Amino acid sequence: MARKMVEVNDVTMQFRMNNDRILSLKEFVTTALRGKLKYDKFTAVNHVSFSIEKGETLGLIGRNGAGKSTILKVISGILKPTEGSVKTYGNVVPMLELGSGFDYDLTGRENIFLNGAILGYSEDFLNAKYDEIVAFSELGEFINIPIRNYSSGMLARLAFSIATVVQPEILIVDEILSVGDAAFQAKSYARMMELMGGGTTVLFVSHNLQQIRDMCSKVVWLENGSVKMFGETQKVCDVYERA
Amino acid sequence: MKERLSKIPGARVCASVMAIYIFLVFAFHFLAGEQLLYRQSRENIALPVAQTGVAELTQDIVVEQIFSANIQRFETVGVQVSTAYRPNYGTVTMELINQADGSVLLFHQFDASAIEDGQVLTVTADTPMEGLYGMPLLLRLTADSVAGSAVIPLMNTEIQDAGGLYVNGQSVAGTLCFIASGEEYIWTGIHYWKFALLGGILLAVLLAREVRGYKSGKYSFVLATYFAVKKYKFLIKQLVSRDFKTKYKRSVLGVFWSFLNPLLTMIVQYFVFSTIFRADIQHYIAYLLIGIVCFNFFSEACGMTLTSILGNASLITKVYMPKYIYPVTRVMSSMVNLGISLFPLIIVSLATGVHFTKAAILSFYFLGCLVIFSMGLGLLLSTSMVFFRDTQFLWGVFSMIWMYATPTFYPESILPEEFRFVLTINPIYYFLKNIRLCILDGISPEPISYVQCFLIAVVMLFVGAWVFRKNQDKFVLYL
Repeated sequence: MARKMVEVNDVTMQFRMNNDRILSLKEFVTTALRGKLKYDKFTAVNHVSFSIEKGETLGLIGRNGAGKSTILKVISGILKPTEGSVKTYGNVVPMLELGSGFDYDLTGRENIFLNGAILGYSEDFLNAKYDEIVAFSELGEFINIPIRNYSSGMLARLAFSIATVVQPEILIVDEILSVGDAAFQAKSYARMMELMGGGTTVLFVSHNLQQIRDMCSKVVWLENGSVKMFGETQKVCDVYERA
Repeated sequence: MKERLSKIPGARVCASVMAIYIFLVFAFHFLAGEQLLYRQSRENIALPVAQTGVAELTQDIVVEQIFSANIQRFETVGVQVSTAYRPNYGTVTMELINQADGSVLLFHQFDASAIEDGQVLTVTADTPMEGLYGMPLLLRLTADSVAGSAVIPLMNTEIQDAGGLYVNGQSVAGTLCFIASGEEYIWTGIHYWKFALLGGILLAVLLAREVRGYKSGKYSFVLATYFAVKKYKFLIKQLVSRDFKTKYKRSVLGVFWSFLNPLLTMIVQYFVFSTIFRADIQHYIAYLLIGIVCFNFFSEACGMTLTSILGNASLITKVYMPKYIYPVTRVMSSMVNLGISLFPLIIVSLATGVHFTKAAILSFYFLGCLVIFSMGLGLLLSTSMVFFRDTQFLWGVFSMIWMYATPTFYPESILPEEFRFVLTINPIYYFLKNIRLCILDGISPEPISYVQCFLIAVVMLFVGAWVFRKNQDKFVLYL
């Protein structure tokens, strides 16, 4: 039996939502004194359990607000679950949003190092892979100008190149394959396939069902925070499409 | 032996920690110098308020004051005299006599024509005199002046218990206006090497425990911190350099602003306050600049950490990294600025005639304490800011009050007695006072000051870190 890479055990994530978020001390004290300090609880993820084995690609599908992104954030360690636990075995590289951590006043080159450090790469690794990143991003000369002058396509290309230069053990991807022009999309798709072929375990959120069918070996279908169905890609996708 | 050593994990780290400790022990002993062993005696006799003259000090008058002082190393004795606002002539002789054996301890003659009204005539021993602790001493004044051109020693008629004032052997009610001062031994200073040894043994035991913990895979707090620092060193470096690069990115003078800022503030405050305070303070420019540099660092570090969590909201919700990285990098960015602003401080101090001694190096210890303190407060503020956005406005007002409550530009002596407590409860004052002592006076503070500052800083850090740690998992929900 293959090694488990990610175990999600009975995870529940609740957010506290007050009617109007109280962000000042005065408001807090006055509402608390009036006894009107009440919170609505919103359960984004409700007792979800699944696990992924090494080398698998797991797709997450579901409607908007089903809790897909929340569960990815819990697995990445950004959110701490209200109940339950998540165990990961190996280094996790989350690509939840490309280019978070970019500083628009710095040049492309400086951002490669900054963003790389944020993603947890080492200095030696970045020095060694620098040329590869620049080559993959197709930025050429532009790498030495501040990225506030970049087009959105250039930014996305740079971000994708930095994020996928590693061979992480667990890769978490939230809808990022639709960046750049058609040629770059094909290139990034190829890169993703290459990563998966190299033994990386991938968690993958997409609304593009065709992509899910092409890439994933298993699929979790979330609805209103709970697992509606978990199993082989073909089976789940067929049911999902009919629903 | 060498092979066995290399089998212990982290042997090199342990060895370097011990080496650094030993180096610091010796360096501190060297730098602190005499101030480690002696301090101004707490039993110094202060000048009583002059109320009247004793008698005209003519050739047939002998004024004697008997006293004893609990001073371990006697140094200076002095008497306040009046000239009665007239030219005087002759020679005034002052003697300090040990009554136990009649020996003359101190002897000095003053030219009466050079004495100013209200002057305290002092005589200081070449080397501090030991063995006079609590001994009965006699201070004798004689002169060869004639009536009408003789100085008049001053006295206080209300203080009776000093030991007795005699004129020509006749007892007079009251006390001569005299001072006596010296040094006393500091207990911790005498036992310095024992303390150092004890500390070394304690450190070795702790290291051994860490090594054992490492072997058994149980990471203690210290070890976890060590590995976290190692792991996130590159990230911290990148974030600090990002802060630094973007701060002055589109300004013409760029990094020179770190240089110019304290200087310009200093010049403005100098013009505003120099006429009021200059007379009271030696090296007023350097005094001012030290205050400005230290307080600027403090307010910048706190102001920047305040928004560190909120300002990085986009990162915190997208990427996982330990949350403390954000405030830590902000404090470190401010440290870079502090480092740069030390250059104008040193240059200006040298230019205005401050004599740097080896003790100036010790000011880095107190700067370190200031950094740790700012860090602790910053952690507290950044936590509070996430939950209550009012924090930044409150802090704006509060830091202004704090600035005025800290003697950055005024001498601490102008505070009236009833407001002295403002200084005693102000942590920044302790750091600032000792930094100034190290640089301007060129002497090390008493050993107790080191402990005091360390405790203030560490307690603040502990409180800040504890609150931060308790709440850090909730941050992401409130951003």
